[in-house]
Amino acid sequence: MKYKILKVIDVSGLTFLTPVVRLCYGEEPQKQWREIARFIGAPLVAFVVFLGLWTVLAPKHRTKSGEVPTPAVVLESANDIWKFHLRENAKEHAYSMTGEERQAQLAEAQERLAKLPPYEAAAAKKVAEANEARAAAVTAALEPLQQQYDERQAEIAAAQAARESDLLKQAAGLESASVDEKQAYLAAVASHLAAVDDERDELQELKGQQTEVRSQPFAPLAAALRTQTKIAEEKQFLTKLIEQLDRANRAQKATRQVASLRDQQKQFLASSGEDAYALAKSIDKSKRRIETTAESTYAKPYTLPMQIWRSVLCVFVGFLIGTAIAVPIGVCCGLSKTAMAALTPFIALFKPVSPIVWLPLALIIVGGFIPDPDKNPLIQWMENLPFIGWMQINPAFIASAITVALCSLWATMTNTALGVASIDKDHLNVARVLQLGFWERLFKIIIPSALPLIFAGLRISLGVGWMVLIAAELLSSSEGIGKFVWDQFNNGASDSFAKMMVVVFVVGAIGLLLDRIMIVLQRMVSFEGSVAAI
Amino acid sequence: MALDVLNLRPQSLLQGVASARSATSQALLIASMVVVSLAGCSSDAKLDLDDLDLESVAANSDAPRETPAADKADDAAPAASKQLLDVEKDSLKFGFIKLTDCAPIVIAKEKGFFSEEGLQVEVIAQPNWKTLLDNVITGELDGAHMLSGQPIAATIGIGTKAHVITAFTMDLNGNGITVSNAIWEQMQQNEPRLKDPAPSHPISAESLKPIVAEKIAAGEKLQMGMVFPVSTHNYELRYWLAAAGIHPGMYTKSDVGGRTDAEVELSVTPPPMMPATLEAGNIQGYCVGEPWNQQAVAKGIGVPVTTNYDIWKNNPEKVFGVTKSWADENPQTHLAVIKALIRAGKWLDETDDAGKLVNREEAARILSRPDYVGADYDVIKNSMTGFFYFQKTDKRAMPDFNVFFKYHCTYPWYSDGVWFLTQMRRWGQIAEPKSAEWYDEMAKKVYQPEIYKQAARMLVDEGLLAEADVPWDTDGYKEPASDFIDGVAYDGKDPLGYLKAHEIGNHQ
Amino acid sequence: MPVLGLDNVTFGYGSGSERYEVLRDASLAIEKNEFVAVIGFSGSGKSTLMALLAGLEKPDVGEVRLDGNAKSEPGPERGIVFQNYSLLPWLSVFENINIAVRKVFPEMSRSERRDYVQKYVDLVTLTGSESKKPHELSGGMRQRLSLARTLSMQPEVLLLDEPLSALDALTRAVLQDEIIRLWEEDRRTVVMITNDVDEAVLMADRIVPLTPGPSASFGPSFEVTLPRPRDRATLNFDPDFKHLRNRVTSYMLSINDESKTLRPTIEYPLPDLQPVLPSQRRRAVRTSA
Repeated sequence: MKYKILKVIDVSGLTFLTPVVRLCYGEEPQKQWREIARFIGAPLVAFVVFLGLWTVLAPKHRTKSGEVPTPAVVLESANDIWKFHLRENAKEHAYSMTGEERQAQLAEAQERLAKLPPYEAAAAKKVAEANEARAAAVTAALEPLQQQYDERQAEIAAAQAARESDLLKQAAGLESASVDEKQAYLAAVASHLAAVDDERDELQELKGQQTEVRSQPFAPLAAALRTQTKIAEEKQFLTKLIEQLDRANRAQKATRQVASLRDQQKQFLASSGEDAYALAKSIDKSKRRIETTAESTYAKPYTLPMQIWRSVLCVFVGFLIGTAIAVPIGVCCGLSKTAMAALTPFIALFKPVSPIVWLPLALIIVGGFIPDPDKNPLIQWMENLPFIGWMQINPAFIASAITVALCSLWATMTNTALGVASIDKDHLNVARVLQLGFWERLFKIIIPSALPLIFAGLRISLGVGWMVLIAAELLSSSEGIGKFVWDQFNNGASDSFAKMMVVVFVVGAIGLLLDRIMIVLQRMVSFEGSVAAI
Repeated sequence: MALDVLNLRPQSLLQGVASARSATSQALLIASMVVVSLAGCSSDAKLDLDDLDLESVAANSDAPRETPAADKADDAAPAASKQLLDVEKDSLKFGFIKLTDCAPIVIAKEKGFFSEEGLQVEVIAQPNWKTLLDNVITGELDGAHMLSGQPIAATIGIGTKAHVITAFTMDLNGNGITVSNAIWEQMQQNEPRLKDPAPSHPISAESLKPIVAEKIAAGEKLQMGMVFPVSTHNYELRYWLAAAGIHPGMYTKSDVGGRTDAEVELSVTPPPMMPATLEAGNIQGYCVGEPWNQQAVAKGIGVPVTTNYDIWKNNPEKVFGVTKSWADENPQTHLAVIKALIRAGKWLDETDDAGKLVNREEAARILSRPDYVGADYDVIKNSMTGFFYFQKTDKRAMPDFNVFFKYHCTYPWYSDGVWFLTQMRRWGQIAEPKSAEWYDEMAKKVYQPEIYKQAARMLVDEGLLAEADVPWDTDGYKEPASDFIDGVAYDGKDPLGYLKAHEIGNHQ
Repeated sequence: MPVLGLDNVTFGYGSGSERYEVLRDASLAIEKNEFVAVIGFSGSGKSTLMALLAGLEKPDVGEVRLDGNAKSEPGPERGIVFQNYSLLPWLSVFENINIAVRKVFPEMSRSERRDYVQKYVDLVTLTGSESKKPHELSGGMRQRLSLARTLSMQPEVLLLDEPLSALDALTRAVLQDEIIRLWEEDRRTVVMITNDVDEAVLMADRIVPLTPGPSASFGPSFEVTLPRPRDRATLNFDPDFKHLRNRVTSYMLSINDESKTLRPTIEYPLPDLQPVLPSQRRRAVRTSA
């Protein structure tokens, strides 16, 4: 059992768990504790130090465009993102809710909404107070500065006037002066003008101090505003939720439509002639409308968790496309020196091209194949797939996936070519002695022997793909993590940076996970002596 | 459905959403996001609809049913089932750019105007104007919040060519020109009246002229940012500069950047990047919509010198654009959308007896949601509620900074289209001189007041719009006006005369 | 008629001024059921000779004949055991044999094949290690596996290319006995290349010396008439054995001196070491550990 666990740990590369397992089996406890301290304790300490430094240093670095968010703020933003997700889920659910459940939810939501006004008033009061306090503080801070400014300005004005009149006086007798004296006069005027410039700068600096005071953040006000925003958001959510449960609710809408259909049908039973024709038409229309209503879904905006799933799918689709292209070409290159010579320039040429260049091309190409996405059979087919149907696969998604493929396939291609080309000659001799045909040789000898290197390439490709994807989504506006980042950047709100930091961790965590999966796969296909046995 | 297990259970609809979360659960958050459910799946719960056939009525027409009258909410929506259009397509995707003037689309969704027309609308932020237009043309989006110049430019073939039409103007005004603090100080040196904490407006580019001359003498050119080659911002910035005799450069066949003969060079910068680019010193000023001028003030990196209200009083800003082919395929849907948008515009401009805009704070709250404009509520609120900060010390009431309904502004005026065409010609984006008839013809190709009027008529019939809210009898051309910063009169019926009246730019 | 023969074979690598001739005008005839040991110094072209016999290389001049017919392609009828085993490292012991069996006996059913492969696993006493990968085996086990794979193809001629040179002395002795045991079971035709005179005398019916390269050819062969089974322990005291060994050794030394005088550079006789590849080194470390 113990060795089984240790083996699993070894294959999965989670070797930091090894001492824990060994400790559980009571094996050399002292040594295991040392190991734990090194492989678990040290990273934890490093992380804590990192968090500490971040917390301390972040507030010190502030530009006019914003400030680096502290871990606490980032955590709060993560909470906001999650809350947004939950709220949208609730609204979606509310839309399709029926019967007593709906009534109960409606009552609960209304009750909650009714509780809000006192909080709202309190928050508004707090904001007003904070505003006043801030205004008072600013005025207090500005007053001495303004005084200083005024005094200095008066001084400077007086000094300038004095110098000017002095110079004018000198100028009066200048006609009869010697050349040297005239020279000196010119110098005096120049120094006067230079002094004027300096004095202006000085005043401007004093003015700048005032601006600085005005733009100082005021913590109580920010806190009060945050609370107010939270309450306002809650109110907005509840109002919308009530609407979704009540007026805009699917079942409610359908019930109304059915009632009106019944009316029409009753009228129809009692009518004849032109009226009957008109009623028959509208009955047909109403029936169709009821059907569409019954099938309708809440138009839900994408939330980060949904975007993450879509991004992961996108990177896998791109990765699969890339692999399907890269491995066969790589094998060809590895097998034939001619193919290698023919393709090397292309590989060298296309490899460094950035996703930003590929994406518009991919968009045009995909757009050419899918001129009308709504009616395209491929898109329609994908919309009905389980698990991924809701992701609304569209041309932008496909273009992003192709961009991922184009940027990531090179590592796999060159690694495959290398793996195939560097196959042990003895292995090929075995194939010759066994008189294996081309395909047998390819699938039984060449590819298995190149697999470790191919997988090393795939691992790099997946990493590159994940990195590229964010950029591709950002440009193509395909819903995903990249779009989330771009939207946050566009929002330019006070918490936008913090939300982007959340994404940093999400992207990093997923990248790490993908890499680990690839390492495990790579270990599983590796054999002793293969180059890539890491 | 198995996935529902991971979804919020109905019983817990409000749990977790409203309750405060503990610190530990917060810490688990990032991890849980990674493994969170496939939450996008919609619930499979189908309506338990009875047989809709006639027999059931004929058989038990007296049987009691759950009628809508039992539901008090239905009083609030009397129109919902009364005059519903037979829409061809009931789930739609509209694109927008994160600017406050996307408000009519967002409000129509959030206040339920779309859903009352039987439409489920998804509103999706687009990364830039080019992608937005492309997505509309490829059919990825059904329609979008567009720059006024975009449908016209696409139709006549500047940039991507496609027949795009509009039956709804979304708003008036709403842009500003911001210059960096350094330029502002120099302008103050040149024109002492600007040193006043609240200088009188309009501020022309006269005081900028010596700075431009100085730069040119030093072998440099002043750099300014705008958002798109056919944007109102580009034309307004050019207009403001040219009105003071500063040449902003011409577009030619070989110079699509529009810098030929320029004394000030204009370049395209995405709106959200404007403040950062200004702060970095790559540009010394920009013209952009809200909230990016107020951001510059809030962050203390620049000073808005003028709004487009001062350049041209009540100028058209954004439109709601769809492709011609979409409109032809979905005429009823288009009408339903326009109806909802008109109602949204009206809602946004609703005032109390004292003339205060009553719904704007709520609108600002909605717009500040991260999936809409997403900027801080305070920043959005400034301009949306009719105020504008020119400097931290200079807050002014500008009730008409954003107009969404007043002055018949949602009506698609031909004269607006002609004005944009004249600007495209003036700055060389239209390479050859055109006849006056051509201007009229092109404007009529893009602007579709008939659809607007049809939608408005339905709203009037439903009692949701007043007869006087719509200019029924107009020929589509506004009265000649001279509300421009340079005082030149504009008559949409005489585009050639208007071109001649300006000194800088093409004259015919 | 000889089973396998070289007819006036000349072979070299490269062309023009860079040509390095390995064999010149070499002829050899191997009779059925004969155990022939080819003995030569390192660098004398022994492995090239083996490649020619197996058909992995084509002679520039002359022919390789199998049962009197010229053969230019390799095939399972000439089973070769490579010097460095040539096992497929991604396959287990069982699969390494199975891949050969499947190809040579395609008509076998699945279960027949399994039994057949198992027979050869047992034959080389690897029972119990069927699912191990080559890198988990010791050097001797690997060579046995390689041997089992080759034998499983039931070749007409078994070609052994210095099969034991990479092994330590003890393992080497064990394997020598084992090979002889296997050979004595069905008296297959065997050509073994070696650099060890003792090994040649102990195992072979006939010893063919290879003159030092370049342009090597065969010297006069020595018949080994010692009775079988030959016992390693007693053989060392056998006068015939000693005599034969001395004859072969002195012949080898004489041709070596001869070649030295012919050659412009002086070559120092070095202990016969095989280059150890990094992978083998790791293996060695592992096995010793």
